[in-house]
Amino acid sequence: MKNSFVELHARERALSLLDAGTSKEMVGPLDDMISPHLEPQNIVPESDDGIVLMKGKIDGNNVLVVSIEGKFQGGGIGEVSGAKIVAALEKALEDNKNGKTIYPIIILDTGGVRLQEANYGLLSISEIQNAVIALKKYVPVIGLVPGRVGSFGGMSITASILSYLIATNKARIALNGPEVIEQEAGVREFDSSDKDLIWNTLGTKQRLATGLVDEVVDDTVDNIKNSIVNEIKTKKDAHRTENVDFYLSLLDKLDLSKKLDIETYNKLYKSVEVTKHDIPEAVAGSKEGTKSRGRAWFEKMTGIKNATSPVSTVLHAQKDGKEYVAIVPDADNDFPRVRNGEVGLQEGFAVASVINKVVAEDKDKDVKRPIILIVDVPSQAYGYQEELIGIHVALGSSAAAYAKARQAGHPVIDFIPGDAVSGGFLAHGLQSNRMIALDDDSITIQAMSKASAARITQRTIAELEEATKHVPAMAYDIDNYEKLGALYKLVKGIGSWEATDENVAKINQIIDGAIDGLNGDRTLHFRYETPIAKESGRKATLKVRKLVDEQW
Amino acid sequence: MEKLHFNFDTTDAIAKPVHVGVVASGDLEVIFRPTDKKTEVNIVTGSDGFKEVWANVLKRFFDRYPIQANIEINDFGSTPGVVNLRLTQALEELKDEK
Repeated sequence: MKNSFVELHARERALSLLDAGTSKEMVGPLDDMISPHLEPQNIVPESDDGIVLMKGKIDGNNVLVVSIEGKFQGGGIGEVSGAKIVAALEKALEDNKNGKTIYPIIILDTGGVRLQEANYGLLSISEIQNAVIALKKYVPVIGLVPGRVGSFGGMSITASILSYLIATNKARIALNGPEVIEQEAGVREFDSSDKDLIWNTLGTKQRLATGLVDEVVDDTVDNIKNSIVNEIKTKKDAHRTENVDFYLSLLDKLDLSKKLDIETYNKLYKSVEVTKHDIPEAVAGSKEGTKSRGRAWFEKMTGIKNATSPVSTVLHAQKDGKEYVAIVPDADNDFPRVRNGEVGLQEGFAVASVINKVVAEDKDKDVKRPIILIVDVPSQAYGYQEELIGIHVALGSSAAAYAKARQAGHPVIDFIPGDAVSGGFLAHGLQSNRMIALDDDSITIQAMSKASAARITQRTIAELEEATKHVPAMAYDIDNYEKLGALYKLVKGIGSWEATDENVAKINQIIDGAIDGLNGDRTLHFRYETPIAKESGRKATLKVRKLVDEQW
Repeated sequence: MEKLHFNFDTTDAIAKPVHVGVVASGDLEVIFRPTDKKTEVNIVTGSDGFKEVWANVLKRFFDRYPIQANIEINDFGSTPGVVNLRLTQALEELKDEK
């Protein structure tokens, strides 16, 4: 096709947008910054790890273009690729803070987390989201989803946070790919061989009709460049992750007795009457809630027995000046895809509502209330209606709320007595800058279940398990996670289910220590600065950050 | 995945490093770097068992263009034709004065 943008590779895409002669690539193919995690798994690496960082001008404006190569490993984000994006966005933030305006443009052609570097991908993506939130105070952060891969996984959560999203009709946007939903929830939930259904649901035409993208343009370089120039001029912001009341009102009206179809949803979307939603504090109930590690610890830490809430899966309460938040399972939940404690539509929006309220209440206070996340999330919800409505926006809303709270000065502390998996963890946990976990081998911490990860990366489960031996980020247990250096503390000698008064006192002491040690830190840099991170866990990240800093 | 290594006795020095290509399915990336040592080619390929084919493709290339360079190739299952195309494309980049 003549003048097609979609058919270009990542580097050509960046170049095609920039005014001639203004481009400067940073940490490019000649800098030898390849992923150290692929060759040990017998995967061919790429010299730029699939990310092109280019500074230059568009129509005379200073811009940073971050272009993801969808053709290399599906545009997946690993340690090096993620660190390149984070480092460049943070330099752009620094420039903007110093009065030197530079507009970040992210070209998303990505499957999300690179499953071969799973936990690095999750960490990096949360760091990207954090940088985007910080940047949006100064400039719009512009997103472009040209397609073929489109935007999936954790990077769709990022897409929901961006100021303005431009797409072509060759792109799809979703959280979970249809193959993963089929793998996790069965073919009746989502038939991944039904291409029409997939495109009608996840294609950008439908996404435009329901507010998940802002503009769909025909695939030419000129069209796309014009749209970007126009956005730089007008600085529109979709505020996509700030429509919490809208979505909670919409969910109230959802008929969960039958399968949602596109036409019904589009009608519903247009007819929503927005009402204010406040999620009240959990109170003691008469009936025991569905058992989970998260619930056990929430009840002990807050002293609320059989805690219940109008949103049965989102528990929060204030205790001793701290706000505790937990997402818990409810075996009788009307939403079938979150009955095991997964983070779904209602969970994401409700948590965002809770956190936004805490931030608003403490707005004028000198000392902001600490927010303690009790993390026990087995995954995000895998479901058709979740994708149709836009579960990535739900998860983006809570991730954005936590990031804003931290950036406003609230200590945001994780206590991880249970699972911390994938989109669930991005929405509820990864925006924390001090993570405290129990050293219990029942805890799973990962980007995708083994069955799905094996299917997507076209390996057997045995091969996948072999890979985890060489690459700690691929593993599913907390001891390997510790090797990445992201944890503040791994607590030995307390089991996941042992939420006793004595143990709660111990954990509270560690939490208080973490809060005291913050010294005003509102960033996520702690993860790079622990002895383990420096020694091994984030070595490549630190090298990338140094290179970007030198070449900026 | 297989790693391959080749040496050639070529002596036409190149002036600057260049990079072309993408590690996409059926494609490869090629990096030429100037060197004053022996010409070296280091390949990481996703398709195992094609050492002889690589040797032939490279021999033909260096017979025609005896450049002295340190060459890195990351390959994701490209055919000999595509390999040759990327190598000559890198040569074109060398001539490019931009």
